[in-house]
Amino acid sequence: MDAAIDYQAFRAEIRDFALAHCPPDIRAVVASYRKLSRKVWYPWQRILFEHGWGAPSWPKEFGGTGWDPRQRVIFDEVMAECDCPPQYHHGLRHLGPVIIEFGTPEQQKRFLPGILNGEDWWCQGYSEPGAGSDLASLRTTARREDDHYMVDGQKTWTSHAHESDWMYTLVRTSKEPKKQQGISLLLIPLNLPGITIRPIRTIDGWHHVNEVFLDGVRVPAANRIGEEGQGWTYGKFLLERERLGGANIAPHRKALERVRELVATELAGEGRRAERELLQHRLLLAESELLAASELGRESVEAVMQGNALGMLPSVIKLGTSVTMQTISQIALDAVGERLAPRFRRVDGAGPNAEEPGIEWVQNYMYARVRTIYGGSSEVQKNVIAKQLFGI
Amino acid sequence: MTFATTLIVSGETFEMAYRFGQVAERELAGIADAAGQAACIERLWNGIGELGWMGTAIPEEAGGAGGDLADLAAIASGAGRAGLALPVASSCGVVPALLAGNPVLPDVATGAARVAVILPGAAQDEDTGGLRIRLLNDGLTLDGVVVGVETPPNPTHALVAAEGAEPMLLLIPASSPGVQTELYQRIDGRLAADWHFSLVTVDSGWIVARGPEVPERTAAARDLGALLTCIECVSAMGALIEQTIQYLLNREQFGAPLATYQALRHRVADMYVEYENLRGITARALRAAQSGEPSWQAIAFAKLRLGEAGRAVAESAIQCHGGMGMTEELPAIRLCKRLMMAEFEFGNRVFQAARLLAADGRTSTAAAD
Repeated sequence: MDAAIDYQAFRAEIRDFALAHCPPDIRAVVASYRKLSRKVWYPWQRILFEHGWGAPSWPKEFGGTGWDPRQRVIFDEVMAECDCPPQYHHGLRHLGPVIIEFGTPEQQKRFLPGILNGEDWWCQGYSEPGAGSDLASLRTTARREDDHYMVDGQKTWTSHAHESDWMYTLVRTSKEPKKQQGISLLLIPLNLPGITIRPIRTIDGWHHVNEVFLDGVRVPAANRIGEEGQGWTYGKFLLERERLGGANIAPHRKALERVRELVATELAGEGRRAERELLQHRLLLAESELLAASELGRESVEAVMQGNALGMLPSVIKLGTSVTMQTISQIALDAVGERLAPRFRRVDGAGPNAEEPGIEWVQNYMYARVRTIYGGSSEVQKNVIAKQLFGI
Repeated sequence: MTFATTLIVSGETFEMAYRFGQVAERELAGIADAAGQAACIERLWNGIGELGWMGTAIPEEAGGAGGDLADLAAIASGAGRAGLALPVASSCGVVPALLAGNPVLPDVATGAARVAVILPGAAQDEDTGGLRIRLLNDGLTLDGVVVGVETPPNPTHALVAAEGAEPMLLLIPASSPGVQTELYQRIDGRLAADWHFSLVTVDSGWIVARGPEVPERTAAARDLGALLTCIECVSAMGALIEQTIQYLLNREQFGAPLATYQALRHRVADMYVEYENLRGITARALRAAQSGEPSWQAIAFAKLRLGEAGRAVAESAIQCHGGMGMTEELPAIRLCKRLMMAEFEFGNRVFQAARLLAADGRTSTAAAD
């Protein structure tokens, strides 16, 4: 590793750029904790791209920054501290590295530039009605016909499918004795005939996930990444690339600060002192958890920089911080709930379901439930940890 | 392969302290009667005196080893892993720090001076305003009762941070007229004492420090004690989790090892997350204390976390051991009792939370990063 990198100067450089160039209206959306959409993400990605920071996690020869893991975590931290949209797009973080590693030169030329400049928007077609935490049980099939695959099946929990151009999709290309075998990775344009996207109405009132139905969709075989039947390997590679994802605790700390301010303003005055202090005490406990998690995050970055294994750290951090974020959202709900929870209403269709100022605290509380479900549920993480602890 | 937790401090000093602690643990566990226990603790105290533990951070010219916080941390970590029933944080860290420059220091280093520390806010049976110094008949008088003060065996002195018109740090010989102590053993095997001071005339030779520096020094010493206690407990908790895992692997019920039951596996995974978080936040506080800008907030947050995690992990470990968890048979359960008692040393979670809230805790959190 390059010992000459001045990380403090690097942090300052990112910060200065973010504050100077991230449009105020975009930062306001992030600061208000609304669920982000392509409309918010794209302009910022474009600005970063033009500055040469389009892909912090990609190697230089593919248009990346060539930053080391510590720089990448610093970049993510500063994004959160400055209320910039997290540069976490499926194309950029997940698919890009897979194409770089396993794609053909033609595929790299075709797909990487659009990811980098934000013109192409991607979603991830992994989960299915019968394959959630147990992803390898997926059943969407792709039958080879000449130079095409005929894809039939259903994907679900597909974040942002309604605003995406493409879906990278795990499909079953053959039946094998082991369910992890016979899976392939296909890139599917979402404007093909036979594709139906339906919003899933979630308890938080935001539209972010969808069902995607694939009914006799003809996908060119040239859109398969890597070998047929090796899709599981690529999927795992992708997760490996993101193992430092949990090391960035800045968004959590930002959330904590926001709720601390909310408690102070919502429960201001001597008359509400007891209520305020009860919530402040709970925030303090949450803060102690986040301080611990930041230290574990710091250790993770250190380990990756040294080329050491991370062991159980990612699972430990995920388990802990997902619950802490839920706690923080509960405290916010306790601060505003009497006033706002009754006004939180179901609506049809997409978009924020109420214009009531502050209603996002209620939405966020509902949304936060997913934190212990997605990205490896708490129960899956505990299984992973227990396996290591007990050796059986 | 047997699972081993990550240590916060390792190295030769840690190993030495751990070995001593293990032998002590076995010895104490084999003694049933109170007198035998007391005699054993006396021997152990002499043992760590000979090994130079109390002199670790005392300057060489005062008869110590001239070590630093890293050396104290290694001792606390080693002793903690075995749940050693001696007041390590107090006698090796807090007392030498409070008595820096005092002529008694060489005796503290050898263990000949056995000093119990009474900090402001020490527990009382009734609220009598704590230990107070008053002017009575031209002389200063100390009056009051405190209870449950952690102590070396047969204490020779009380080091009292007394409040009054002028705060004072007093080193009071236990044999002084009007001073009475009552010693007993806590559930974690350590000794504690109630101290009665009945109109004790203050000898000017007892005054270690006076005036506004006293609250500052005692606050810093309490934080050092809290930090070393957290380090001890990280080790104790790590050992407890390892032993709980072994127990669950070995014990069979309904025809299968307990370690195969998901409810128990998940419970142990939760314990491990608590452990890792405590380890992280304690490492952070230690790093802050070793930096140029020590942060009491970093220590307060660590001790707050210990309050939450220590009890939670101890309770889970007892549950995992089933009926055996209710007995005194196993080293693991003795570690549980140690974790439970650590909460009451150098400021419990309520104390830590209150001072963080009073200071509006957030100003501080960046300090250690």
